[in-house]
Amino acid sequence: MSDSLEVVTRPATGTRESRRLRRQGMVPAILYGHGEKCVDLAARREALELVIRHGSRVVDLTGAVTESALIRELQWDTYGLEPIHVDLLRVSKTDRVKVKVPVDLRGEAPGHRAGGTVNIVLHEIEIECTPDQIPDKIHAQVGGLEVGGVIKVHDLELPAGAVAVTDGDEPVVSCTMAGVKAEEAAAAPAEPEVIGRKAADEGKGEAEE
Amino acid sequence: MALMPKRVKHRKSQRGRIRGDATRGNRVVFGDFGLQAEQPGWLPAATIEAGRIAAQQYLRTEGRLYVRVFPHKSVTSIPLETRMGKGKGEPEYWAAVIKPGTILYEIGGVSEDAARLCFARLAHKMPVRVRFVKRRVM
Repeated sequence: MSDSLEVVTRPATGTRESRRLRRQGMVPAILYGHGEKCVDLAARREALELVIRHGSRVVDLTGAVTESALIRELQWDTYGLEPIHVDLLRVSKTDRVKVKVPVDLRGEAPGHRAGGTVNIVLHEIEIECTPDQIPDKIHAQVGGLEVGGVIKVHDLELPAGAVAVTDGDEPVVSCTMAGVKAEEAAAAPAEPEVIGRKAADEGKGEAEE
Repeated sequence: MALMPKRVKHRKSQRGRIRGDATRGNRVVFGDFGLQAEQPGWLPAATIEAGRIAAQQYLRTEGRLYVRVFPHKSVTSIPLETRMGKGKGEPEYWAAVIKPGTILYEIGGVSEDAARLCFARLAHKMPVRVRFVKRRVM
């Protein structure tokens, strides 16, 4: 499902203009792809945040341009609270796009019940599919994951027509027994080694001899 | 054993100023939830370790804790009742320089409620104001 996002063109670009826009409650955006010209746009922050909250990857742009676009990259402020820039990629229904989709664990691993720890090695995997096939999440069924077991990318169930771009042999989830860490050696140095100090001292000692 | 670099180029460092926000290490990367600093400051190695122990004791064998900061900076001090001068003091402890936005700890493999309770314990030990953050999808 795709949401609509109203955009306006921005006449000026650059850091100062972008900051001015942000102060006015707008988020700078850029639209590119399909070999056409890049268009500098801006969208209202509330509208963009609504689209993000819905989890929409593909948006129907209205206003200054009327096209379908994929949210390719989102830049956030330091605290990750407000979007500060959005990259939009022109897409048509037949295009195949590469997107990163989060992995969601389903079920309870028997290995976890046996005292093991379930580790998520890959939090998201990259898939290639058409824009209308992009799933919100990819479910990894851990119902059969024993201690020492691994679920790899090729074990995941992808939506019809989607192909994993991430290497199929990459582990996604593993279950390991929590090891007891050996106590660190008591004779740990009180101070770090100073680079160059030791060599200089040795040289001095030799010279004295 | 508190964290400390293995090798350094210089034993002592100047105090420096903490300017601006964190542009790196400000996203939850390894786990699902994180503890983000809202203020600048120094985080001593002993405090990092205290936080790690507090979280580990709460989590026990559940989930996984990631410490995202490392004390690279040596902090010196001069002994009490010492006259002025005679050079810079000796290294007293090691500290991590924290910019606003830095993720201090991350937790993975536990529920949000458990992570919140765990980080609430840690937050009391931190010398800077912190907030709870989640991994972002987009």
